[in-house]
Amino acid sequence: MNKFRFGKYGETDVMSQLIGENYPALLVMSRFGIALGFGEKTIGDVCRENSVDVHTFLAIINLIANENRIPPSFETNISIESLIDYLHNSHDFFLNYRLPEIRKKLLKVLNKDEDDLNKAVLGYFDKFVSEVRKHMMNENRKVFPYVKSLQKAENKNKYSLVFSKPHEQIEMRLAEFKNILIKYYPAQSTHEINDVLFDIFNCEKDLASHNAVEEYLFLPAIVELENKIRKLS
Amino acid sequence: MNHLVKIAILEPSIIIRSGIVSVLHRMNGVRMDIFEIVDIAQLKSSLNREKPDLLIINPSIWNIFSLQQLKKEVANPQMKCVALQNSLTDNITLKAYDEIISIYDSAEQISEKLTKLIFEPEKENKPESLTFREKEIIACVIKGLTNKQIADKLHLSSHTVISHRRNISTKLQIHSTAGLTIYAIVNKLVNLDEI
Repeated sequence: MNKFRFGKYGETDVMSQLIGENYPALLVMSRFGIALGFGEKTIGDVCRENSVDVHTFLAIINLIANENRIPPSFETNISIESLIDYLHNSHDFFLNYRLPEIRKKLLKVLNKDEDDLNKAVLGYFDKFVSEVRKHMMNENRKVFPYVKSLQKAENKNKYSLVFSKPHEQIEMRLAEFKNILIKYYPAQSTHEINDVLFDIFNCEKDLASHNAVEEYLFLPAIVELENKIRKLS
Repeated sequence: MNHLVKIAILEPSIIIRSGIVSVLHRMNGVRMDIFEIVDIAQLKSSLNREKPDLLIINPSIWNIFSLQQLKKEVANPQMKCVALQNSLTDNITLKAYDEIISIYDSAEQISEKLTKLIFEPEKENKPESLTFREKEIIACVIKGLTNKQIADKLHLSSHTVISHRRNISTKLQIHSTAGLTIYAIVNKLVNLDEI
């Protein structure tokens, strides 16, 4: 039986209820490697069975479920390792699944008589993807190793962390692309073009919540870690 | 108009806060990024971080501080402040606000007040079609010319070119060269081999 629930999710809430109320939670689960088929189990039990840190899982879920973005109070229980794994998998999702899938669908719906225009449309999309790739790979290659070195207290050189501006630009580019397709692309209104647009709308939302996790959970955790190290040295 | 409006709401009551959020969400046409501030202690740090265009605030919890001072402290002098009135407040306090919303206002009244506040400066230049000059400039931009080169080619000052480009962005809601390229091809302003 579903319980009456208001406010944040906790470990004793039932996993299937969470998904029913907030289907984007499915993305969070797959990024943590949690499979479906959990029956009536609670969030806490499912996490423990999959060796996922419950606090980190809930912090992300509660951030994503909260559409009005009440900034979360600082989460001290978060596991930075889990968060890095999550973000890594999330980057992988965008770069190796979501964005290539959108491109594939886009190719299918492009109007065959519009060769020049199609080049420009794909050019725009490819440029957008390469910007996203550059940003995410930089995090994978520079930011995550830096944070890991901080944890081992090996690193005392401060690395400058800039998230919010590139994030805003990425989100704006995708929104602009979508608007251009809607307003100017001479496509028939078909199920296929709707499908691409729905994917882009969803991708916009996913990117925004991915970015929110980095800005509201990851960044404050790093700052806290840096402060701790500065006090020790 | 399609730019993003950032709105901060400071109201301790969850019922009233959720109420105003849900009314705002019912206003179509403007993209909004709304964030709620529950605790007055978080006000300044939230405002510093988010730099909202609009602050909707319960006047009875803020009447001892100056709004001017607040705008200065959070380095956001452009921020408009709206009082969300749910009880009687004296007129001198209310005068400090840019607008007053009562909890008994209708959705239309609220929407009218906020529209006036947010779009005041751009009221005159409604979105309209591009001028001939603007189309010429788009063609140059997507060929990769710099503002200076465009200015020389069209016998304009760089300053004029920049202001034309700003108007183009506002009219089309396209801010990137790649986006303008698509627009130009659709509207036959150029051929791809010219680019």
